Amino acid sequence: MSFPIMLFAGLDFPSLPQQLVNGLELGAIYALLALGYTMVYGVLKLINFAHGEVYMLGAYIALFTSWALGFGPGKMAAATNNPFALVVMLIASMVGCAVIGVLIERFAYRPMRNQSRIASLITAIGVSMLLQYGGTIFLPNSPPPNISENVNPYRGSIEIPIVPRNAALKAKELALLKVSDDDEAAFNAYLQRTGEGEFGVSAPGIPLRDAARASDRAYNQAKNAAEATGLVITVETGQAIIFGMAVLLMALLSYIVRFTPAGRAMRAVSLDFDSAALMGIDVNKIVVFTFIIGSSLAGAGAMMTATFLGTPLIPFYGLVPGLKAFVAAVLGGIGNIPGAVLGGILMGVAETLVVWAGYSSYRDAIAFVILIGVLLVRPGGLLGSAKVEKV
Amino acid sequence: MTLTLRQAKGAAIAAFLLGGLMAGCTGGGSTPSAPTTTPAPTTGSTPSPTTTASGGTPIIVGLVASENGDLAPWGKDEINGAQLALDDFNAAGGIPGHTVQMEIQDSGSKPEQGKSAAEKLIADGALALVGEVSSGITAQIVTAAQDKQIPVIAVGATRTDLTQGHSNVFRVCYTDAFQGPVMAVFAYNELGLRKVGIVTDEKQPYSKGLSASFRAAFIKLGGQIVDEQFYESGQTQFGGQVTALKSKAPDGLFMSGYFTEVGQIARQAHDAGLVVPMFGGDGWDSQQILQYGGDAIVGSYFCNHYNNKETRKEVQDFLAKWKAKYPDEPEPGTTMGALGYDAMLLTLDALKKDPTLDSKGLTAAIEDTVNFPGVSGNITLKGMHGNPTKRAIVVKLTKDGQIFAKAYEVADVQKALAAAAKK
Amino acid sequence: MKTWLILLIRVVSIVIGVSACFGIDWMSHNQVAVGPGLHFAILPTNEYISRIFALAGLYVTLAVSLNLINGITGQFSVGHAAFYQIGAYLAGFVSLTYYGFMGLTGLPWLLAMMVLGGLGAGVAGFVVGLPSLRLRGDYLAIVTLGFGEIIRIIVQNVDKLGGAYGLNVSPKFQMIWLIWLLAFVCIAVCRNLLRTAHGLPFLAVREDEVAAAAMGVNVTKVKVVAFIVGSTFAGAAGALLAHYEGFINPGTFAMDVSFIILTMVVLGGSGSITGATVAAILLSWLPEFLRGVKNADGSALMLSDSSIIAALLATGIGVALIKRFLDRPPFKWRYLAVTGCFLGALVLKLVIQRLLNLSPALSVAHIEAGQIRMVIFAVTLIVIMLLRPQGIFGHHEFSLAWVKGIWRRLFPRRGVSA
Repeated sequence: MSFPIMLFAGLDFPSLPQQLVNGLELGAIYALLALGYTMVYGVLKLINFAHGEVYMLGAYIALFTSWALGFGPGKMAAATNNPFALVVMLIASMVGCAVIGVLIERFAYRPMRNQSRIASLITAIGVSMLLQYGGTIFLPNSPPPNISENVNPYRGSIEIPIVPRNAALKAKELALLKVSDDDEAAFNAYLQRTGEGEFGVSAPGIPLRDAARASDRAYNQAKNAAEATGLVITVETGQAIIFGMAVLLMALLSYIVRFTPAGRAMRAVSLDFDSAALMGIDVNKIVVFTFIIGSSLAGAGAMMTATFLGTPLIPFYGLVPGLKAFVAAVLGGIGNIPGAVLGGILMGVAETLVVWAGYSSYRDAIAFVILIGVLLVRPGGLLGSAKVEKV
Repeated sequence: MTLTLRQAKGAAIAAFLLGGLMAGCTGGGSTPSAPTTTPAPTTGSTPSPTTTASGGTPIIVGLVASENGDLAPWGKDEINGAQLALDDFNAAGGIPGHTVQMEIQDSGSKPEQGKSAAEKLIADGALALVGEVSSGITAQIVTAAQDKQIPVIAVGATRTDLTQGHSNVFRVCYTDAFQGPVMAVFAYNELGLRKVGIVTDEKQPYSKGLSASFRAAFIKLGGQIVDEQFYESGQTQFGGQVTALKSKAPDGLFMSGYFTEVGQIARQAHDAGLVVPMFGGDGWDSQQILQYGGDAIVGSYFCNHYNNKETRKEVQDFLAKWKAKYPDEPEPGTTMGALGYDAMLLTLDALKKDPTLDSKGLTAAIEDTVNFPGVSGNITLKGMHGNPTKRAIVVKLTKDGQIFAKAYEVADVQKALAAAAKK
Repeated sequence: MKTWLILLIRVVSIVIGVSACFGIDWMSHNQVAVGPGLHFAILPTNEYISRIFALAGLYVTLAVSLNLINGITGQFSVGHAAFYQIGAYLAGFVSLTYYGFMGLTGLPWLLAMMVLGGLGAGVAGFVVGLPSLRLRGDYLAIVTLGFGEIIRIIVQNVDKLGGAYGLNVSPKFQMIWLIWLLAFVCIAVCRNLLRTAHGLPFLAVREDEVAAAAMGVNVTKVKVVAFIVGSTFAGAAGALLAHYEGFINPGTFAMDVSFIILTMVVLGGSGSITGATVAAILLSWLPEFLRGVKNADGSALMLSDSSIIAALLATGIGVALIKRFLDRPPFKWRYLAVTGCFLGALVLKLVIQRLLNLSPALSVAHIEAGQIRMVIFAVTLIVIMLLRPQGIFGHHEFSLAWVKGIWRRLFPRRGVSA
């Protein structure tokens, strides 16, 4: 009985809203990837194992594009203040990934269309392996390169006050800031006068140094006390852009699927492949169309993650996100587009909550636990049908 | 079992075919390589506990380095430094009557690969193993060298227990038992921090050991550890850990991991609004950390083994030789280059002192090292159980690289801790 | 057939099989070198080469046990490395802490550890086998893959098992003959499972589950048994691995190991025990051969990037061409056409490489031969699936009838057959 209390006792509830926001940000990326999986599965009934690698290649395309624009090793261009580089990188990633996706479909999946599903799956695994390990040979990965900060003109973060902070405490904080600045100035003046190094102060300077440090500590304490009141969500500008773009792309996708002829055809093919062919739909073209959309979404997601987070790129960059996004697609109901979005968000939140609860080592395991749970309890996913298809 | 006649014949044929296949393989695969493994058959099969090189044959010193993987930059520096040492040694005369060679095996930044690299070197007749820069990999090298008691000279491995219980393991750098307290004293006295959050890479024994030793020392000084968050090398999203730390309101962050993740954590911490002084250990030392950390990591401090802007004669000579041999390297005389140079040169000098030219004698000669004038500082191994008393240099990271902040000798740290105990 | 004769043949087969194991062990420790003038000498090999033999034996066990699940029963399990890992860690940990328990040491201890590892993995196999009842092929693949990852993450977080640091196992037992003996037993068990009345239900489940259920086959039992037997052997192999290497860490059992075993099964032919064995030996030896081949001065063989790209492109084009010709009759011309395509691809590769070398960047980029082993595995998998999904051996097993069949195909008898 005390176990649930134990479980909840260590949790830090005030940071929960911020963690939920973190989870949403993570979930947006998973959603973008999950859409690719779900659309391909809907149309071809195939798990595109290589989708994670398309994501990885999208990140590398963004990297190489940034190098081509002058933000590469060696002569680094100055920090830019316009989004030109970002737009170019985004387009390059999306187009590049679309091309790669089409090539994979044409040469690895289409010949297998008449074979058993397991055969196609094995081929997909082979393509995934080829891209990963081929990447270790042909892509720069030791040490892992990353996209320079200078490409991104949108730095800093946005603060969203939900509950405003205590004004009195804020005033106190500002007062202490002034004290701290004064002490700091006094210490610096001493250093200037004596020419001593900051960390090599002799006896007369030590009281000044300690005073500066102490007042700085007091200021920090006041600042933290002020920040502990109220509720303010901090969102890094880059993350906000990622979330915004993801929402935009998903809205675009939704429009395409519901209101364009191609989207209608896609839905028809995913309902019944053969009947759609009989009705005069060029299934090959639709499959290619599906891959283009799915892959370019992955490319967009990859470009944004790699650019705004500055993550080092390795050829296995897409492996874990790919698997997690697949779980997200299954969670939401594979073949179901809103399901993929829902699944992605839930996966992101679940993962962040695991870290919040203190089990950061198990953050990757939670994805698979969710997967097994879903498949055992409700294989159709949250938004899918509840019945189990055995054959 | 119900085997039919067919199956029996089949099994027999299969067995003989198998044998034929294997014999063919061995013949084809190894004959081209046999002439190159010197001194081949004798050392590979001798059951004796030492490895001996017979007169006139080339002497091999093994070097385990990460040519690939996350630690590749360090591996490259290590190799460059060791190669420079070998060249200097041979230029100074080498060992009369013998050629000394260095054989390099790739550890791929992974412990298990490091182990097979060490085994390969031992099988090829290496008298000593120099390497590695990572404690996790070095631990496996030590295990591999266990049977034949080959001396292991670690380059940058700082985990304290590596030398415990082994009389054949040495290092040319300080240990985490020293590094942790150095950063604790620096954080408490110089940066004036009182409430510190720790970020540990729980996949790396180095990081865990360093965090523990920092924590103990910082608490002894009177400070408080408000929280410790964990991550694993290879992760890229640290939002959860950062938010958790922020809620505990630390004055500063101690990050004991390697540069790849430390850079990203710093960035994500800044973006989340956690802007406090950050500091760490020698795992930060690389040219990549500025790339990964960006503006967030500028102004941080970490503990290093030496600084290439020092004015000592050994450093200046070393830099001159380095620039001459490796003009294309962006940063001359990096830490791992200096440590690699010291490790290799120390080993070669000991080899010269050892008349028997076997690994047992070599171990004794290395143990006898007193006041070796290393680039990274004075190294004495005699009576030190493999851990020399080196000084630590705390450096500040600026946009243009590392600048010297403060030096700490072992005595300085002991004094500071004693003073705190009295309070 | 007289009873005593059958018994004699069985005994002889077992003797041959077991002595083959010892023969392989001898070969792993000794090599025959041919000097000038056909002068033979027997030299001891080094640990590196013995290790290849050991790993090959372990992979044979792994491939054959996976084949039981995938090929023979038709399930699609991709996380076989999980069972390998469980067996290895269980046996390794117990050896480290309780060696000498109940007075057992040496070989009996190792055998006990093998049984322990097998049991532990068997339990895991039962746990994984149960969901297989409800899951279709592709879902089962992901679940087994996920299970493998969960095991790896759990082990990585348990400090007692060494965590990410790894576990040093002592004492070490480097008995290569035992490794191959396990492989032999695994082959024999799987083979006999198929030949008896117990074996047919497995095949029935593979072919058509619904029909099998209609014929009264207990599909549940068959699937779970397949998982348990397959995982038990993998676990026993894991126990042997832990004691052979003396060091295991989660990195040793990463997803690529599962994929490697899968490639071996697919290459050999799902459903063919012979195929799995041959492919396992081939694919264990080939990458080490690449790594072992050195230049005259002892430096590692380097392959230029342009060579690799050219080889990949040529393979792709060759595969496309072969697919074109493969379906065309008549019989004789088809194989000629395939050979022609193969040779053509070789020529094409050289041409492309020459062209690529014109670019200065590509002509200098090099990589060590040993590093392309995973790329070779991946390409093998794709090529096999595109060209010959049934693998080298298809559904055939090595047997006298098979050999006779090939003989007859090459040299058809005229007139009345005997």
